[in-house]
Amino acid sequence: MAQENVLEKENEMAQEGFEPRILGFFCHWCCYAAADSAGVSRYQYPPNVRVIRVMCTGRIDIRFILEAFRCGADGVFTGG
Amino acid sequence: MIVAETCRQFLSDCGINPDRLVLEWASAAEAPRFVELITGYVNSIKKKGGVGSCEGEADAETIRRRLDAAVKAAQARKPRTALGLLAKKLHKKGEYTQEAIGKGVSSKILPALRALRIREEIKLLLAGASMDVDELCKVLSAGPDELEKPLAEMQKKGVVEVHDGKFRLAGK
Repeated sequence: MAQENVLEKENEMAQEGFEPRILGFFCHWCCYAAADSAGVSRYQYPPNVRVIRVMCTGRIDIRFILEAFRCGADGVFTGG
Repeated sequence: MIVAETCRQFLSDCGINPDRLVLEWASAAEAPRFVELITGYVNSIKKKGGVGSCEGEADAETIRRRLDAAVKAAQARKPRTALGLLAKKLHKKGEYTQEAIGKGVSSKILPALRALRIREEIKLLLAGASMDVDELCKVLSAGPDELEKPLAEMQKKGVVEVHDGKFRLAGK
């Protein structure tokens, strides 16, 4: 019964609007700075992205991305 | 780009929609472009729903088990060397088209990753229950010919035992 309730609630939540968890790998020199200046100039963008700053997009390994999905990310955004 | 393509192909091998991973460029001066990219991407993921709920994706439990195995496979030396060699080769030729990269990855890197992923997944599956070859094929969505080699090797090493045609982890 409890299980059913949880499932029902989950379904409701899904209908209300699903908020994905997205992991962002941003290059310190490009995309991270772009995100920064977007914030400074008060552009609106969705708050679903959790950012990890890397010194270069070339630092990113296959394992980083697989690990992200394993830890429950719904998507991975790599910004160079 | 080679890493991204490898990931994309490997994710779809694990039963995840490869469009969940994107690689985009925005320079430090391109805040509006960045906002556009990120908004578009978040909306596309919203449409897809959580991992496992998109069309063509495996169920959440399978994906979780496959990713566990995939992380281990990505640590191994063989696919990592293959990746380095492919990058070197493409750089030498100066070929950076999506087509050339995709072809190289699917012929050189993916088979190594897939074989290792299957091997790790067999270990995870057999830790829970003993299974025969048909059952393993079904759960792994792999052909019997793909299972033959890892199973034989694992048997030789004494990791896996056979009882009444069913495989199980040794010492259980």
